[in-house]
Amino acid sequence: MNITYTTLSFELNEGIGHLELNQPPSNEMTLVFFSELSRICSRMRSMSELKALVISGKGRHFSSGARLSELLTLAKDGSSATPGSPGTQMQQFLNKNNRSFQFLDQLKIPVISAIRGACLGSALEITLFTHFRFCGEDAVFGLPETTFNMIPGIGGISRIYSLAGTATALELVLRGNTFSAEEALKLNLVDLILPKKEVVQTAKEFVGSLPSDYRKEKSKLYLKRFSNSQLLKITD
Amino acid sequence: MSKEKNDSRFDWTVREEIGILSINNPPENYLEKPEFIALDKLKYLVDNNKLKGLVICGVGRHFSAGAKLDNLYDLAGDENVMKASIDQGKQLLSYINNLDIPVIAAIKGICFGGGLEITLASHIRICSQNALFAFPETNHGLISGLGGTARSLQILRFPAVLQMILSGDVVNAEEALEMHLIDHISTGDPIEEAFLLLKKLTTDKPLKVIYFVMQALRNASTLSLTEALKEETKLFCELASDEAKRRKI
Repeated sequence: MNITYTTLSFELNEGIGHLELNQPPSNEMTLVFFSELSRICSRMRSMSELKALVISGKGRHFSSGARLSELLTLAKDGSSATPGSPGTQMQQFLNKNNRSFQFLDQLKIPVISAIRGACLGSALEITLFTHFRFCGEDAVFGLPETTFNMIPGIGGISRIYSLAGTATALELVLRGNTFSAEEALKLNLVDLILPKKEVVQTAKEFVGSLPSDYRKEKSKLYLKRFSNSQLLKITD
Repeated sequence: MSKEKNDSRFDWTVREEIGILSINNPPENYLEKPEFIALDKLKYLVDNNKLKGLVICGVGRHFSAGAKLDNLYDLAGDENVMKASIDQGKQLLSYINNLDIPVIAAIKGICFGGGLEITLASHIRICSQNALFAFPETNHGLISGLGGTARSLQILRFPAVLQMILSGDVVNAEEALEMHLIDHISTGDPIEEAFLLLKKLTTDKPLKVIYFVMQALRNASTLSLTEALKEETKLFCELASDEAKRRKI
């Protein structure tokens, strides 16, 4: 099965769904993208043959995140349309995105992000809602929102708090600086670093290898088993 | 005034929008009482200086050896006095923990018991290479009284907390880093490093952005994910609306 929207594509092959952000080179997350993400999430609800999901960006980067100019226009339109309730349109927009991200988080099948190159702002946020994150050695992460007087808007703070604690969340969000794959691994924000050309393929192999009674609470155990089996492959 | 000096011993300075609160009772910096600085006093100092961050540290070689046992036993003579005193200490630490600006504990030398509990109420912990941590209370037939057990469970794994509290063993800086009891080891002066980190985090950032990040983070630790996301949306909308106006979009 293949589904192609203007900003993303979805392919289902032997039970493994591959959702690709498809606006290279930066795969910017535009308002259209977020609508299409919501649409594809609805479609996935009824795909009984979907056994695992891989999310990646087409080309060299995962995504540079949301488009600031669109967000600010949305914020302004919302406040002028209904005085007294600033950002109503914005609120609807964010609620929709929260629903899409939480849908990914709550899926009973394994959901993994395969990250190459830039993964910034909302892009990092969406990956933090998937159950696993594999990245290329060239991956660059960051939540730059506070450097332009905003905060991450789709759960980034909450998810980093859960994965890495108060100090890390505070430092990454308030500084807004970028950080490397190595740092992300050390902070428990990614699970595995791979040669960049192997990230998507290995992510597919990993989720394909998981048992049918998969539970995301066991993610650390699955990762350990997978690492061991990879090591065996190398020594063979 | 003189009484306050006897009971609460601290130094206060403000450097470039960062407050520096030093426990001043050297050499061990024992806490004469759980409310080591009067809550109203600290509130006044924080509110009147429009601070962007706060460093908590000890004067001299040590952070703090915690409560003095003699004082505790004196207090324990009257259960009501004891409870009131501990409640005041807890309120002070909750206030620090819930501040809308980042708080860094800069730790040198000994950091035991009540001293450790102060650092656990802070948001980031930076220590020197010679820092030592412990919950010695159980050695004296006591347990930590200022939320140390609950707060360490938010940071450490259950077995590590259990071991540290029941054994009363001293943990060094390297071990503390490994178990995530602290966030950074400073090779130089942890107080200076805490100050510089706060500057890095807050320079050029409007107070409102700092406040909102702290609120979102507090929501993350106290609310369900769904509720935290709802609150975050409100915070984000307000900032986006401000920024749209500022840029005259």
